[in-house]
Amino acid sequence: MASSRLQQIQTHLAPNPSAQKTKVGVQSPEDVVVVSALRTAITKGRKGGFKDMLPEDILSAVLKATLEKTKLDPKLVDDICVGNVAAPGGLATASRMAALHAGFPDTTSLNTTNRQCSSGLQACVQIATAIQSGLIEIGIGAGVESMTQNYFSRNITTSKKLTAESQAAADCLIPMGITSENVAAEWNISRLTQDEFSTLSHTKAIAAQKAGLFKDEIVPVTATIVDKDGNEKTIVVDQDEGMREGTSPQTLAKLKPAFKADGSTTAGNASQVSDGAAAVLLMKRKTAHKLGLPILGKYVTSAVVGVPPKVMGIGPAFAIPVAVERAGLKIDDVDIFELNEAFASQAVYTVQKCNIPIEKVNPKGGAIALGHPLGCTGARQVATLFPELKRQNKKIGCTTMCIGSGMGMAAIWERE
Amino acid sequence: MFKFRTEGYNGYSLQWSPFFENKLAVAGSANYGLVGNGRLFILGVGVGPNGVAVERVFDTQDGLFDVAWSEANENQLVTASGDGSLKLWDTTLADFPIQNWHEHQREVFSVDWNLISKDMFVTGSWDHTIKIWRPEMPRSLQTWTEHTHCVYSTAWSPYNPSMFASASGDQTVKIWDIKSPRSMQTIHAHTNEILSVDWNKYQDNTIVTGSVDHTIKVWDLRRPDREVICLPGHEYAVRRVKCSPHKGNIIASASYDMSVRVWDMAAPVPMVELHDAHTEFVLGVDFNLYVEGQIATCAWDENVHIMTLPSLLRR
Repeated sequence: MASSRLQQIQTHLAPNPSAQKTKVGVQSPEDVVVVSALRTAITKGRKGGFKDMLPEDILSAVLKATLEKTKLDPKLVDDICVGNVAAPGGLATASRMAALHAGFPDTTSLNTTNRQCSSGLQACVQIATAIQSGLIEIGIGAGVESMTQNYFSRNITTSKKLTAESQAAADCLIPMGITSENVAAEWNISRLTQDEFSTLSHTKAIAAQKAGLFKDEIVPVTATIVDKDGNEKTIVVDQDEGMREGTSPQTLAKLKPAFKADGSTTAGNASQVSDGAAAVLLMKRKTAHKLGLPILGKYVTSAVVGVPPKVMGIGPAFAIPVAVERAGLKIDDVDIFELNEAFASQAVYTVQKCNIPIEKVNPKGGAIALGHPLGCTGARQVATLFPELKRQNKKIGCTTMCIGSGMGMAAIWERE
Repeated sequence: MFKFRTEGYNGYSLQWSPFFENKLAVAGSANYGLVGNGRLFILGVGVGPNGVAVERVFDTQDGLFDVAWSEANENQLVTASGDGSLKLWDTTLADFPIQNWHEHQREVFSVDWNLISKDMFVTGSWDHTIKIWRPEMPRSLQTWTEHTHCVYSTAWSPYNPSMFASASGDQTVKIWDIKSPRSMQTIHAHTNEILSVDWNKYQDNTIVTGSVDHTIKVWDLRRPDREVICLPGHEYAVRRVKCSPHKGNIIASASYDMSVRVWDMAAPVPMVELHDAHTEFVLGVDFNLYVEGQIATCAWDENVHIMTLPSLLRR
């Protein structure tokens, strides 16, 4: 009898890891929540408001704004992760300088990460995961890119041995524009479809800017620029610069293919070369409550998947279903997709493949209109997502992008 | 906080008297209820130098797993025992039960006295059956055998004298009307065993469940397809849930994670109190009907804790 009673009670002691998982619609004190998500304006590469600033200058501005806006004691921040793609040395030292300059004490640690165009999201996920596992209590996932400073000067040599011996490895070196052509050709995405999608991006971004919908996410930055006469002057950068009034499929149709004579990818239906930074402050719900901080929403889950490098743009179409399933949702349950528009070809492919209603995609425009400062974008999308979920009174958001060398990443967020 | 040691007996359940504001019944079992005797303690709270004094104890041959005060007679109470027996005790009489029933084939894990039809109580057993009884009748009035696993908890509706709920290891909660041979409603409430169920005292149709899946769920019986709210936080199975007799939004829970928690289901952060002074599984928790904010808990650490929670008075 004793053994049967023991057996019965033993079943009560089953560990239940699923009960610990972050669940959509359930608020747990253990949830990792977003307390603040801010970005700078995105400026044009080589001619915009940040053209004479270094990436660490832009990064410092957004980190400082995060402290000012939340009034958080900076010494409570345990770690900062910064996504960056193109700067030499991973921008590691300069990012540390930016954090110290922004007011964080030397006890706040920092690292940089590079998963190409998803680096800003990877930084957020890395910090969220460290918080979930109890390694840190409070952290910032950030991203910064000065394509002005670091994109055009890159001269990266890679192993000839690897490219000779592995076709897939060689495919990693295909220029991004050509991967876009590959996607458009393989899945018959016409020039017109791409140009129409791009026009929509501009139309939405212009409307959003006019309606002031970016004001909750953009922090004004005082920038120093050198004018054409060599005079330094100080300006305040608080507006995205990439939108072009009057963009239409007809105007875009006039542009020449940029990568291939008979191709369909042009400067008008690809993301813009830009500068910018963003920062997302993360902590557990119980920590936010303890500190009396506001909660925008929570990080639910994320996924990274690999795809063939020569069609790297299809990555989101494969990452989205995995992330959505991990969150216990269906694609239909997602209210807003912040889908990075690296190229109209791959964005259209993703929308079609995942069967996403177009009105759920980038309601305030995407990278074709706003620009795509590589390492910044993943964190920038989070800053763009939450105010829009709130404005539409919707709950579930997905931020997602393709990744050079053949990957896709997607994260699920829930507004509260 | 008052503490009382149930020496040699691991606490399984307790209940405040519905008639006296300072009287508490505690059901305990030797050797963690696995084998050996049981003991029923009748405690006076606020009495004697330690704040808690034993008024009487009753010993049984097998462990005691649950206890319910009579709603009709202030001196009587019934215990549920590991050997399948039920015993009715009178605190004015020494040593022996005034009534003894033995119908359940396995451990009786729950007993609850009807709050409206005060001549009736319900029991749930590991033999998968539910039975209802009258103190003066030698045999049970009715038996239901619909559950396919142990019945861990049974609770009468505070609104309807013929309605009660049962929680089972078969992962369902069933709602019953004693006039019907079949259950009225079955809710697949959790994806693991359900150890406890209670009725909200202020909202008709609202019940609360506690499960081995570590969560507490609040249900509206009119919309049983999905819980109204899920309260995660316990790190192990939730062994008992109780709804406050004073406030409709307050729930107390006892867990195998050795903690007792108090929840305000209307608050943005529902968990409002965490009592972690017990050092073993906590199996019993109950609200004092007369002293708002006062709760009692019992655990396998052979301790009864009685405390007044200021957070409950503020809400």
